[in-house]
Amino acid sequence: MLVIGIDGATWKVINPNLRSLPTFESLKKEADCSTIVLNQKPWSPSVWCSMFSGKTPEEHGHRDFVENGRIVKREDIPVQFIWDLLHVHGISVAVLNVPFVIPPYSFNVRFEPVAHGLPIEEHELLEEIQAVTSKALEILENDKPELLIVVYTALDRLSHLHWGEPILVDYYKKIDAALGKLLSYDEEFIIISDHGFCAYDEAPIRTLPKRTPKGEIKGDHHPEAILITKNISCVIKQPEDVFYCLKEKFLG
Amino acid sequence: MEGKASRTINIPESLYQKIKEQIKGTEFSSVEDYVIFVLEEILKEEDELETSLSPEEEELVKERLKGLGYL
Repeated sequence: MLVIGIDGATWKVINPNLRSLPTFESLKKEADCSTIVLNQKPWSPSVWCSMFSGKTPEEHGHRDFVENGRIVKREDIPVQFIWDLLHVHGISVAVLNVPFVIPPYSFNVRFEPVAHGLPIEEHELLEEIQAVTSKALEILENDKPELLIVVYTALDRLSHLHWGEPILVDYYKKIDAALGKLLSYDEEFIIISDHGFCAYDEAPIRTLPKRTPKGEIKGDHHPEAILITKNISCVIKQPEDVFYCLKEKFLG
Repeated sequence: MEGKASRTINIPESLYQKIKEQIKGTEFSSVEDYVIFVLEEILKEEDELETSLSPEEEELVKERLKGLGYL
């Protein structure tokens, strides 16, 4: 089974560009596509943490990449993630580049995140998509785990500074091509984003400053995330449901 | 534990009881799950040390987080 996370992916970009996104276009026809409206703040560290721990932000307590001037690490978060739980029960699970912390977290996989999981420059964005895809394909080809969880961060990083620009659609196309490759390995999958995106001035919840040392922030996080599933029987209404969905699937 | 070959290891009763108390209300459904999790985390430490950030890399990460508006 595959769980593919796409940080910051939104239907706002996918739907108007379906003709140049063939994988998404076919998923719209063949898979179950919906929108998750987050109950929690659309903020990557806490949403990814909820998704794979089954806990709300109030329960897991993980709010930011940096707390009190210190970069938060996995061991600072006192939860058992789905991969911890499945692993102790003998389920083979591989986890690649999950950005609830920086650098993003991998489990049972040796992977060095591109630009520490914060690709900003164009060559880094490209490199991340290539490196994550290549590693995921290697895992699917050789290790064949019962569950692979893999996350791309590039669209989120790009949306902060380039929302509304044609370059963003170009990178959706690259993610679309990567999805096509990964999905050829499994007919049972969840594709999910941690939040959506929108023009900065249209954000219903302000999560980012207007200006940063890198320039103007053009997009802000939006509480509507994407969800695409195929051959998944459980109902996913919030990120934490993914944990229970995987638990039910593998442990009953 | 299911689905995996396993061995039995004895631990002191007092330690067992202490862990049993500690995991109440957590995701860990048994003392065994918790012990396996902790041991694996310790054994992973070597790998994690290799991937941990140097002070210069930490500064770079913070700079990028600021650039994106996360910090």
